[in-house]
Amino acid sequence: MENCAEIRGLRVSFNNEEVLHGISADIPREGISVLIGRSGSGKTTLLRALNRLNENFHGYSGSGEVRLFIEGGMKSIYGGGAPELTAIRRRVGMVFQNPNPLPLSLKKNITLPLELTLGLRRAEAEERMEKSLREVGLWDEVKERLNRHAASFSGGQQQRICLARALALEPDILLLDEPTASLDKKSAELIEALLAELRRAIPLLMVSHSLAQARRLGARFFVMSEGRIVSRVEAESLPDGGEAEPFLEALL
Amino acid sequence: MRRRLIFFRFLAYFGALFVAVASGALYFFIISRGLPVLGGRLFFGDTPPLAAILGLRPVWDGIWPAFAGTFCLVLLTMLLAALPGIGCGIYLARFAEGRVRERLSFAVDLLAGVPSIVMGLFGFVLILLLRHTIAPQATTSISLAAFCLALLVMPALVVTTRSSLESLPPMLELTGASLGFSENQILRRLLLPAAARGILGGVILSMGRAAEDTAVIMLTGVVVNSGLPAGLAAKFEALPFLIYYTAAQYADESELLRGFGASLVLLLLSAFLTGGAWLCQRGMERRWKGIR
Repeated sequence: MENCAEIRGLRVSFNNEEVLHGISADIPREGISVLIGRSGSGKTTLLRALNRLNENFHGYSGSGEVRLFIEGGMKSIYGGGAPELTAIRRRVGMVFQNPNPLPLSLKKNITLPLELTLGLRRAEAEERMEKSLREVGLWDEVKERLNRHAASFSGGQQQRICLARALALEPDILLLDEPTASLDKKSAELIEALLAELRRAIPLLMVSHSLAQARRLGARFFVMSEGRIVSRVEAESLPDGGEAEPFLEALL
Repeated sequence: MRRRLIFFRFLAYFGALFVAVASGALYFFIISRGLPVLGGRLFFGDTPPLAAILGLRPVWDGIWPAFAGTFCLVLLTMLLAALPGIGCGIYLARFAEGRVRERLSFAVDLLAGVPSIVMGLFGFVLILLLRHTIAPQATTSISLAAFCLALLVMPALVVTTRSSLESLPPMLELTGASLGFSENQILRRLLLPAAARGILGGVILSMGRAAEDTAVIMLTGVVVNSGLPAGLAAKFEALPFLIYYTAAQYADESELLRGFGASLVLLLLSAFLTGGAWLCQRGMERRWKGIR
């Protein structure tokens, strides 16, 4: 099976305190890979290592190797010879735990990144915006309100706007950091349904706070504890029915 | 606990009322005295307005030259102060680290504490120094006054720019970075526009200060009668100095009334500059946000 990410000996520290202690893992391109673990186990840091977003936090230092399948081949994203930082982040989309629209209109939220990072012209950018809003099933709901402030939409809609914004850049990998944690049940179900569709098109790596959700969506689970991956479980090898969640719970 | 809440509420209401009454009284006073004389005569005296505005004929008993002088002085001051002031604020908020940041902040705080009369004295001494060294012809002028005023208002620009950048939610920057924006794009396309309203506050504060200050210009080039400012090296008239001068040595009732008229005009000029800056900022914000 081909991998979308290969991590070797990844160490990350903030202010000289090590958070990830030499992580190695292969993440396949097929299906959704889910990182699970108690809070503070380093899931988010690991996720952010894949788009080098940790570097935006104070006191960061890190070592190790991360290779991603981007721009048509496996590429090392740290060290010399890596693609430019902005190019990496463009190829590796990210959706955060809380919806994070820019303080702009819905339309600009999606077109501004397209114009700035891909250099698209306005008309092209608007075409792509429509396409990605359709992908997340939002177009009919919002097409009359594209010029409204993005923050004026509901939490669930905002999160789908953020998903659409990431998808519009046509990333090679999509990182999701507890994308439904801040949403109500109904909005969470909508996002889950979208992810279930998306997994056919693009490799997804997700941090999940909910074992039930992880089990519904995941093709495999990386269990993290205290800055290490302590086990990897394939979805097929989970016990059936109600046994699965207690089984995962026991691994945490 | 409850009693404390009542106390703070009382304090807040009292503060709001005090500010409203005090500024209301001030406006009422200036408007009631100044409004009756507000008109063409106040500005141009007996000179035909068009000839006065174009500077073809001198204005003897009107405030037009002082009005034009203050207007030019404020513009010149902002031209000199805006770029370094806002730039230094951005530097402190985004790029400076450790010692340099501490020392520069301290220097800015120190500059903010310099009384305007000392700043005027500095300008005066600067001219003396120039006269004794490289430029024996140098004399006090509108550009020297603007330079000293720029130093005077710079701290307000630095501090408001810095604090409005620093008070932006950290998520804004992180979002930009995660979308693949370059550092330059994050700053120019996200952070600065988002902080623009705060930065504008600093600009307005600075313009008001530059328009009203008398101590600096008294030592650096303002005169009672010079006509319209004739160039960057020319002497100039200014409204606050005219008001000050009139208050100190008016000869008759009509001259005093002209002083009140000038006060109202200065107030209106400030309001006009503030309004212009606000409209400008609102337009930019709308375009940035794309909200219709």
